Amino acid sequence: MSLPELTHETRTAHWGWDEHRYFGHRVFEQLAGHESFTGLTVLSVLGRRLSSDECAIVDDAASTLTLADPRIWPLKLTRLIAAYGSTLPAAAAGLLSEEDARIGPWAMAKSAEMLLAFDAVIGSRVDEPETVRAIVQRYLGEHGFAWGFGTPFRGKDERLVAFRRCIRQRGRQELRFWRLMNAVSAAVAEQRAVEPNMGIATAAAFLDLGMTPHQVGSLTSALMQHMFLAHAVEGAKQGASLRELPAGYVEFDGHAPRSSPRAQEIGTGGA
Amino acid sequence: MSAGTLVGPLEGGASFPAHLTARVITPGERPRVHGYDVEADLARHYQASDLLFLLLLGELPKAPVSRAFSVALMFLAPVSVAHASTHAAVVGRLCDAPSRSMFGVAAIGAAEHASSLLDEHRELLVWLLSPRGPLPERFRARDEADVAAVQRLTAALEPTGLSIPALAEGPSRDAALLMVLFAVGFTVRERLEAAIMLARLPSGIAEALAERPTNFGNYPINLPRFTYTEAQ
Repeated sequence: MSLPELTHETRTAHWGWDEHRYFGHRVFEQLAGHESFTGLTVLSVLGRRLSSDECAIVDDAASTLTLADPRIWPLKLTRLIAAYGSTLPAAAAGLLSEEDARIGPWAMAKSAEMLLAFDAVIGSRVDEPETVRAIVQRYLGEHGFAWGFGTPFRGKDERLVAFRRCIRQRGRQELRFWRLMNAVSAAVAEQRAVEPNMGIATAAAFLDLGMTPHQVGSLTSALMQHMFLAHAVEGAKQGASLRELPAGYVEFDGHAPRSSPRAQEIGTGGA
Repeated sequence: MSAGTLVGPLEGGASFPAHLTARVITPGERPRVHGYDVEADLARHYQASDLLFLLLLGELPKAPVSRAFSVALMFLAPVSVAHASTHAAVVGRLCDAPSRSMFGVAAIGAAEHASSLLDEHRELLVWLLSPRGPLPERFRARDEADVAAVQRLTAALEPTGLSIPALAEGPSRDAALLMVLFAVGFTVRERLEAAIMLARLPSGIAEALAERPTNFGNYPINLPRFTYTEAQ
């Protein structure tokens, strides 16, 4: 029986004899000694390299996104799995909880989609507050919710305050999506009294680097892995303390004790 | 700086509960699931598949439903290494990953596989909620093997006495299994996904455990072939 030939194309990599390829680059000759860890991560997600100035923005985002308190839900999840003593399964569990989730880096991908939608209708009218206000009002009416807004437990996102400084220092505050974010934020704040958060800021900065929303989500996820690793490493060392909560810390709010139909039939077991 | 001097949004202002809430399983020495005593009642009167049904849907199945659910789990369970979910678990084993990690790979694969099946049958789930008109063509049996599989399923369900009219529409094997799960109460996507994933997980694990760690010499590394291109 002749089988169909199964082949897949890949742009990612090839294993050679004395040199390897990675997204069109010779690994030892072109990447080793020339590309940073951030640059390699960018290359992996975008399939192209960014300049060192552009990579610096990615580094700024990674640094300012570092809000890693173990009480924050996705990190708590990592910490709980790490309680069984292994590092990478705990980090993987954190990673697994990210795609398409409302909390975590996928909020940046959703924010990027939203900014692109605004860009399509606002276009060059970003300096016309009345126009932006009307478009944002219509969007909020249709969607009821805007990605990248709101900061739990505090009035403003301190990460965004820091990231704005980085953007200014690097002279990127007049780029298209950064300006759009500011215009939309002003209209959302006016109508819903919520402030923008680091999600929409990261999305805007990365859209200004030419990324797609999916690339924004994937890259942000990669940029946040250090926090998951930190908790996986520390949690695995701490061991058993989180494996089971002491009695009294869990309340039951479910069905009252009852007997099964079969137990009732034969008069055994039950409530 | 001493840690005691650090304050932030979680130290003041918002208030949070001091306890975690259990909603299905009572914590402690004498576990109950949705109110039923596991050790003194369920273990004596029910099968493991009934416990799975109870966990996922909150109520114990009546006898015909129990049997039909068990049949559906049986038909769903086998997932050969031809499928990416099981294949991935085998590759994890080849890499000599610890068993716990390989089980994790199998679980991720089974969950993705189940989700993908339901994505492909999104329109069927809508039709099952309100089956007006004939079964959409794309969910009909594609070949004789498909027809024969559904006949075997129907035969296995016959002793239950459960009536599933949609099975008369000539569905594919996958569609028929979703019809059975739907008929026994799995009408919400995430519950369906859970049942399918749990039915299939042991296949991936079993196939992986049957492989010898580091048996790379017997693994078809060029299946499929990857051709590297340096696109612009």
